[in-house]
Amino acid sequence: MSLPLIEVKQGSFSYHRTVVFEKINLSLKKNEILCLFGPNGCGKTTLLENILGLLKLQKGSIFLDKKDIKTLKENEIAKKIAYLPQIHNKTFPYKVKEIVLMGRAPYTSIFSAPSKRDHQKVDEVLKLVGINHLKNRPYINLSGGESRLVMLARALAQNSEIIIMDEPTSHLDFRNELEVLEIITALIQQKKISVIMATHFPNQAFYFKNKGIKTTLALMNDKIIKLAGPPEEVLTEKNMKSIFNIKSKILSYDDLKREKLKYLIPLEIIKK
Amino acid sequence: MKKSLKNYFRGNKKTLFIFFVAFPLLCIFFSLFIGRYPLSASTILKIIGSKFTTEPENLPPIYQTIIWNVRLPRIILGLLVGGSLAISGTAFQSLFRNPLISSGILGVSSGAGFGASLAIILFNSPLMIYLLAFAGGITAVLLSYLIGRIYNTNPTIMLILGGVIVSSVFSSLISFLKYMADPYEDLPSIVFWLMGSLATARFKDIMIAAIPMLVGITGLILIRWRINVLSMGDKEARSLGLNTSLNKAIVIFCSTLATAGAVCVSGIIGWVGLVIPHIGRLLIGNDNRLLIPISLSLGGCFLIIVDNIGRILTGGEIPLGILTALIGGPFFVYLLKKTKGGAW
Repeated sequence: MSLPLIEVKQGSFSYHRTVVFEKINLSLKKNEILCLFGPNGCGKTTLLENILGLLKLQKGSIFLDKKDIKTLKENEIAKKIAYLPQIHNKTFPYKVKEIVLMGRAPYTSIFSAPSKRDHQKVDEVLKLVGINHLKNRPYINLSGGESRLVMLARALAQNSEIIIMDEPTSHLDFRNELEVLEIITALIQQKKISVIMATHFPNQAFYFKNKGIKTTLALMNDKIIKLAGPPEEVLTEKNMKSIFNIKSKILSYDDLKREKLKYLIPLEIIKK
Repeated sequence: MKKSLKNYFRGNKKTLFIFFVAFPLLCIFFSLFIGRYPLSASTILKIIGSKFTTEPENLPPIYQTIIWNVRLPRIILGLLVGGSLAISGTAFQSLFRNPLISSGILGVSSGAGFGASLAIILFNSPLMIYLLAFAGGITAVLLSYLIGRIYNTNPTIMLILGGVIVSSVFSSLISFLKYMADPYEDLPSIVFWLMGSLATARFKDIMIAAIPMLVGITGLILIRWRINVLSMGDKEARSLGLNTSLNKAIVIFCSTLATAGAVCVSGIIGWVGLVIPHIGRLLIGNDNRLLIPISLSLGGCFLIIVDNIGRILTGGEIPLGILTALIGGPFFVYLLKKTKGGAW
C-alpha cells in the first residue's frame, strides 16, 4: 500500500453561513485517478480549490504528502499540484508558448525571468500534448479543444506529480473529448501522474477503469460524498436511482481481451 | 515596405532592441537643437563636443547653461515622465486584466492634482507643490487600496471601484479648491498645472522626482514576467505558485511611485498611460517581458517629441495635456491601420 499523496480529512467549508460541503474524506494515491461526480453547484469546484490551497477549510484538514496544506506556501503547492481550471477568462492575446511558459512560475524567483531550461520544458510539453504547431499563435483565437490542450500543457510545465482538472472535457465535441481523455490516460500510464478530476460524465470513470487505470469514483451530492469506490461498485442501477433519482442501465461489452467493458446508459428521471 | 510593419517588428528582436534603445538616445540628441533661444546647429555641436574634449571653448557661458541646464534637464524629465506613465499604464492594464485602464486608475492623478492645487493656494512654492502633489497621489492610491479591501470577494473589481470613487472625490475637491481660489493669482496657476507641463524642469527638480520614478521603473522592469502570470487572474496566478497579494502589492507600489513621481513634476498628462501601452501591444505583442521595456521607451520618446512640438508650434508653450491626445490620437489610428489591429 502506497501512502496517499493527498488526503482530505473531515473537510467542511462554507461561504459566510452557507455550507458548501461538510465532513468530506477523500484520498488520492500515486498513479491513480479520482473522479468527482455530482450535479451542478454541488461544490466540486470549491472542494478542488480547497485541495489546491486557494480556499481554506473551516473544519478538518487537507494533507499534501503528509503536510497540512495550510502550512505550505503557494509555490510549494504549485510544484506538487497543477490546476486545469474549468473556466479561463482570456484577456490579452498572449501567444501559446507564453501561456505555457507561465507554468514555470513556481520555479522562478520573484524578480527573474524564465531561463533557457524553462523554455526547453515548454517545447517538451507542447510536443507531448501535440500542439507544437500552435506555439506562436495567439491563444485567444484557438478553438475550445485547442485551448483546453494549451491549459493542459501549462499544467504539465509545472512538472507536478498531481494535476487537478475541473471538468476538462466540458464544452468539447465528441472527438476532442476523447482526445483529452486519451492524453490524460497517457499521462497517468506513462508519466506516472495522479489526477483528481471533476466530471459530469459517469462514463468517464468507466473509461479510465476500462483502460486499466486504478480509478476511484466519488459521488458528491447534498453537500457530502455519498459514496466512493471503484466505478463498478459505485455506479450501479440501484445507486443511480437512490442518489440521483435516475433510471439507468449498466451495459457491459466483452472484447474478449480484457475484463468486461462497462458503460452506464441513463434512461429517464424518475418522477415522484 | 513589403512586410507589414507588425511582422517587421516581430521578426527581428535584436533590431527591435537596438531600435528601442537607440530611439530614445536619438530623441534626446535632436531635442537639444530645439528651443526658443536662437542657437545654430554648429554652435550646439561645439557645446556638446566641448563636454568630451579638454579643449577650452571660447563660447559664452550662457550657451552652456542653455544646453546643459535648460534643455537637457527638460528632455530627461520628459523621457522619465513619459516612460513612467506608459510603464505603469502597461502594468496596470495587465494586472487588472483590462485594456481600458490607464496609469491614473487608482486615483494617482486626481490625488496629485488636489495636492498641487492645495499647495498653490497655501504656499505657492514649487517645492511644496511637488511634495503635496506626490503625497496627494500616494494618499489617493492608499485610499483606493483600503476601499478595495473592505469587501474581499472580488479584489480586482473592488480595487478598481475604489480607484474610481477616490478619483471622483478628489476631482470634486479640486473643483472646490478652484472655486475658492483667488481668480487672478491662484486659479490660473492651478488650471495650468492641471494641464501639464515640463517647463519647470531644472536639474534640482529632476533629482527629486527622478528617485521615485526610477525606483518604480526598476521594480516594474524586474517583476515584468510575473505581471504576465498575474494577468491570468488571482486564482490561476496562485495555482501557478504566486503569492498574489505580495506580487500585486509590489506592482501597485512601483506603478504608484512612478506615476506619482511623474505627475508631481509635470502635472496631469493624460493619454500616455492609456494608449502608449497599446502602441506597444500593436508593435510587439502582449508579453510583458518585452512590452514593459518598450512602453518605457515609447512613452519617453513620445513625450519628448510632443514637448518639442509644443515649444516650436507657437510663441508660447502649449500645455502637454492638450497636445498628447491631439498628436497621439491620429498617430494611433495610423498605426492601427498599418498593423491591421495587431493582435487585437
